[in-house]
Amino acid sequence: MRKADVITALIILIIGIFVVYDGVRLGVIGWGASGPMSGLYPFLLGMGLIIGSLVVMGRVFISRKSMSDKPFIQKGGLRHVLYVAVPAALMVALTEFIGLYVAAGLYLALYMKWIGKHRWITVLAVSILLPLISYFVFDKYFLIPLPKGRLSGLLGF
Amino acid sequence: MESLNNLMMGFGVFFTPYNIFVAVIGIFLGTIVGVLPGLGGANGVAILIPVTFMMPPTSAIILLACIYWGALFGGVITSILFNIPGEPWSVATCFDGYPMAKKGKAPQALTAAFSSHFIGAVFATVALTFLAPLIAEIALRFGPPETFSIMMLTFSAFVALGGKSPIKTLIAIFLGFAMAAVGIDIVSGKLRLTFGTTELMGGFHFIVAVIGLFGIGEILITVEEGLKMDSLPVKMSLRAMLETWKELPRYWKTLLRGAIIGCWMGFKPGGATPASFMSYGFAKQFSKDSEKFGTGIMEGVVAPEVAAHAAGVSAMVPMITLGIPGSPTAAVMLGGLMIWGLQPGPMLFKEHPEFVWGLIASIWASNAIGVIIVLAFVPLFAAILRVPFGILMPSIVFICAIGAYAVNTRMIDIWYMIIFGFVGYTFKKLDYPIAPMVLALVLGDMAETAMRQALIMGQGSPLIFFRPPFALPIMILAFIIFFWPTVSRWKQKAVKKRCKI
Repeated sequence: MRKADVITALIILIIGIFVVYDGVRLGVIGWGASGPMSGLYPFLLGMGLIIGSLVVMGRVFISRKSMSDKPFIQKGGLRHVLYVAVPAALMVALTEFIGLYVAAGLYLALYMKWIGKHRWITVLAVSILLPLISYFVFDKYFLIPLPKGRLSGLLGF
Repeated sequence: MESLNNLMMGFGVFFTPYNIFVAVIGIFLGTIVGVLPGLGGANGVAILIPVTFMMPPTSAIILLACIYWGALFGGVITSILFNIPGEPWSVATCFDGYPMAKKGKAPQALTAAFSSHFIGAVFATVALTFLAPLIAEIALRFGPPETFSIMMLTFSAFVALGGKSPIKTLIAIFLGFAMAAVGIDIVSGKLRLTFGTTELMGGFHFIVAVIGLFGIGEILITVEEGLKMDSLPVKMSLRAMLETWKELPRYWKTLLRGAIIGCWMGFKPGGATPASFMSYGFAKQFSKDSEKFGTGIMEGVVAPEVAAHAAGVSAMVPMITLGIPGSPTAAVMLGGLMIWGLQPGPMLFKEHPEFVWGLIASIWASNAIGVIIVLAFVPLFAAILRVPFGILMPSIVFICAIGAYAVNTRMIDIWYMIIFGFVGYTFKKLDYPIAPMVLALVLGDMAETAMRQALIMGQGSPLIFFRPPFALPIMILAFIIFFWPTVSRWKQKAVKKRCKI
């Protein structure tokens, strides 16, 4: 837990430094045509992030005992998290090529079969019906075109 | 009197077949959303905002508000039948709700909870009906310094009330503001924090952040814990309902106290959770059978629920009068208002009375409709959670992806959603609160504009933020709230030291 706390604080520190850097680039002190310089606000926010993350890190180092040494991820928990996260990321990556509907269908089928261990009939029914229903609800009824990737020309929708 | 006339007009706006239909759909979807893991009120509202683009604004806000009420109802079902609080303010409901259901009194517990919801809502709506126009009247005289001071008050309340670590709450707020600043500077038109990339030029949309942080993050937490959904059996019967309603008036003191606590706390951001705990605590203290609390008695269900729902409704008061949302869900709704082209704040009462009063009337009506719907369909909603997780989980991810994409129809937003999911997962584990971050992201532009305009008014002097008559007391109040936890901790330490000596 402590390690994760420090790493997160470090990332926030880096973000803070970036924000301050960009604020300085735009100008912090001074008076522009439209009031305060446009870098002042990011500069203040970035400073807040830097100070905050330093305090968090400092507290971890000072109060060694009071921090719980519970691991950040429970044993075996990481596997379950990755089982969800990796296929989801794959689905998003595939969406760029074959569109959200087909990618989601594949994702649903894969997850239900591989992790849910459902029967083929359930797998096929859900992974075909759900994207199909959402196609009619969003693309047809609400006129929100969802990404179709390269398939749009091929299949004609 | 004028309020009553306006309210009548609002009912006229609400009672069209289309709006009633929208309200029923909203309650249904909201309850489903509230029952499902990974989809809370804020998330459900966020996913549906793109759908509302083609509706008239009044119907759109009715739909979103009903999803909010529905989600509150859904949280009750999971905490009583599954012992899983869907939302933090349902935690106190589990204390007595689940033991009651275990004793086979699930219908009574559910009826009591939903009825107290309704009572809390009515109480808060009365307050809303008469208080909101008054606050709006005062707020009309607010300039940029006052707006900024209200923001300070909002966020200092978050630091004081929410989360275990004030410094982490502060970091979350700053991160939210920094994310809101990414993109084009509204005043000077310069590009900020984009570091030369086109991807960052569009900035981060709060809807994408909400879906990722609350939705995907929640799912990751859920799968890691390997949640098992074991529902207690429930069979609603009219007799059980009537029995409960006969018993309810006995707790009028608890109901009244809870409703007042809820209204008062809900007004402040992040107030629903402490309100529900406070109401439960007071009820326990003043009750005749206080030692029975926690074993499954009706009073223990009534107390937190009436306060939580009253707080949920009264969170709408600052949203429509000041443009400051009191809860993450209200923040998402506020973002919706801006997308529909309505400027939230006191002018709303003057410029779009039909919108404001239609909304207020819909709170009255839809809560009544909602109680009937959820009571009638409790078994159906409980059955949703019995759908195997292997089917539920990927479907929720798919729906989240649709919501994230639909806001701006940008592919990059789905990626952001996944990244926000990891951020939400990490933050939740390390006690960084998510709600104030979302609030800061929604309010970022407003806060910055207020700050810069105020500085222009004061010609660079920050003293402008403390100008009387309104900004000064609000700022002082903000500072008191901000430092209150620290001061009280010192006091406790001092007392302890003295005791030792």
